Amino acid sequence: MENPVKIDLGLCNQCGLCEFNCPGDLIYSDEAGNPYLKYPEECWFCGACRMDCPKNCIEIVFPMEVL
Amino acid sequence: MFESKNEVVLKTDVLIIGGGSAGTMAALAARKKGLEVILVDKANINRSGCGAAGNDHFMAVLESGPDWDTPEAFLAWYKRLTQGLVDSKVVEKVFTSRIKGLVEYLENIGIQMRIDTKNNDFIRTKSFAQPGEYFINFDGRSLKPIVSKEAEEAGVKCVRQVYITDLIKQEERVIGAVGFNIRNGDSYIFEAPAVILATGNVSRMYRNPSGLPFNAWHSPYNNGSAQAMAYKAGADLKNMEFVNYTLTPKNFSASALNAIVGMGGYIVNSLGERYVLKYHEQGEQGPRWTMPWGTYWELKEGRGPCYFDVRHLSDEAIEHLLTHLLPVDKNTFMDYCNQKGLDLKKDLLEIQICEGQLPAFVGSVTGIHIDENCLTTVPGLYAAGGCAVSICNLAGSMAVGGAAGESAADEILRDRIEVKLDQEKIAELKARAFEPLKRANELEESRFEGKLHQIMADYVGIGRTKLGLETGLEELKKLNDLTSILGATDGHVLMRVHEAQDMLLLAELITKGALTREESRFGLSHYRGDYPDTNPEWHVSLHQSLKDGVPMMKKVAAYK
Ligand SMILES: Cc1cc2nc3c(=O)[nH]c(=O)nc-3n(C[C@H](O)[C@H](O)[C@H](O)COP(=O)(O)OP(=O)(O)OC[C@H]3O[C@@H](n4cnc5c(N)ncnc54)[C@H](O)[C@@H]3O)c2cc1C
Repeated sequence: MENPVKIDLGLCNQCGLCEFNCPGDLIYSDEAGNPYLKYPEECWFCGACRMDCPKNCIEIVFPMEVL
Repeated sequence: MFESKNEVVLKTDVLIIGGGSAGTMAALAARKKGLEVILVDKANINRSGCGAAGNDHFMAVLESGPDWDTPEAFLAWYKRLTQGLVDSKVVEKVFTSRIKGLVEYLENIGIQMRIDTKNNDFIRTKSFAQPGEYFINFDGRSLKPIVSKEAEEAGVKCVRQVYITDLIKQEERVIGAVGFNIRNGDSYIFEAPAVILATGNVSRMYRNPSGLPFNAWHSPYNNGSAQAMAYKAGADLKNMEFVNYTLTPKNFSASALNAIVGMGGYIVNSLGERYVLKYHEQGEQGPRWTMPWGTYWELKEGRGPCYFDVRHLSDEAIEHLLTHLLPVDKNTFMDYCNQKGLDLKKDLLEIQICEGQLPAFVGSVTGIHIDENCLTTVPGLYAAGGCAVSICNLAGSMAVGGAAGESAADEILRDRIEVKLDQEKIAELKARAFEPLKRANELEESRFEGKLHQIMADYVGIGRTKLGLETGLEELKKLNDLTSILGATDGHVLMRVHEAQDMLLLAELITKGALTREESRFGLSHYRGDYPDTNPEWHVSLHQSLKDGVPMMKKVAAYK
């Protein structure tokens, strides 16, 4: 499935809050410290990852199955 | 390689498993009594569980004047809603006597309960056959982080990213729990004379209409750990056969129904008829179960698709719905509308009957049986929130959580309970926690779960018969045999494997309950095609438990 959690790494400050806040343990940091959605098919589309994002750099893009 | 590494042993007075709406309030309440408290969650507590991203309705009795706004009227309504299968004495003790105080407390810590900022007043709506406006429309987006901060500042020790697999027993009493850190593999042993279970609803057991199993009504990350652990520890589970459904937007897991009907929205079929009126005299104002029930028959009889229709509402009402309710309840609601190209002022919103689950919603009669002190039938083991039978939507879970924390603390303060861990038993439980890492990893967890969804939807879903349920039981048994090749290679998958095993156990209990209950009740929740009527002789609760390894089932009379 395509990745529904689009993180703008140009804006991201690598604070780790999205990884910390995801209720499903889906977001991880890569070796460079950038967050990424490791388990796209387990996303609840809840938005918790973006709610406290200090850079407002996360967008939820629904996969075709939802739309 | 992911493996069992360090062992962390933590002792406390009260252990709370699950740091959601109920668990966090339980922790705060026990801590306020001066005890040492640990709150453990597989996620990060600040945003976890059903309230992770916000809720918009806070059910409360405020005694503001009218007859309906009194504990008596509320209790009478709740009894009708639950058909007497929930003990009003429990609801009075854990909810109506506490809820006004809880609203005040939340206002004091900065939760915006009065969204009518012009008049500094509550906006209240009613739904689900309530006699009056019990639902405060509030801004719950920061509820979770604020309450979590309160708990930590009060001295609650929060243990994050630790998945609990089993309870520890000392003779008849529960005295702790075992788990593992999902990121680093540390094993955790908790020792506590009182344990409160608060891991919420049971999601992901049924086929999801969108084909995406995690796109679920209530949190897909809650999978019945509490119910499974309580059962294995010998506690009574109640009415497991009632699986619940709601109406959600087409292919989207938003619990929008309360907001829509609370504002006076309609539910219509493709002929434009407000069909719910055919199935219940209160139409969209009836109990929740009547709406998926009616929708089921409309679709079956060829009058679908069906829709939410809010086009007749005033501009002000629509504004309220689209600003203060729908996107507060489900943070991504407006993204869904925008990406789908929907304008609710002009367009109908297509709906579906969601996947079945044991959700944490108002009126649920299913879960761990508790008494007025939130104690299960096992000493030392308490339960609160969506996993227990009392009152378990957001406000209910928070109130009953607080009550459970106080009761557990009172017991510990009253009776000094000596706890001693049996190291042999601990080693056994630890081995069970990490066992999937050692299994042949031949079956992916998602496929195992997919098979579970198939069995549950086909044989234990909407419309049940003796033969179908028996087939379901056989299929579940075959699936159980496959756990021997259901392996894991990292902590995340290890967690999912344990979730799957818990869901499988509960699926079996649901099926057995459904087979035993030879009647139909609560609409689609339990509709037996071979016993289509509600039977007064079945106006009882079914309790299931495990006594010395033997599954037991008993009928318990409804509450007078
Ligand atoms: C989108 C949405 C909107 C809602 N809106 C409303 C509303 O407006 N009004 C209302 O009254 N109700 C609403 N509800 C329902 C309400 O949120 C729930 O009733 C309530 O949060 C249940 O509380 P709980 O503590 O039982 O479970 P939760 O708050 O879900 O907490 C359970 C916790 O247990 C943890 N956990 C699970 N398993 C384990 C394990 N094995 N080990 C460790 N931790 C574990 C989870 O990570 C989670 O943090 C809504 C639900 C959803 C999903």
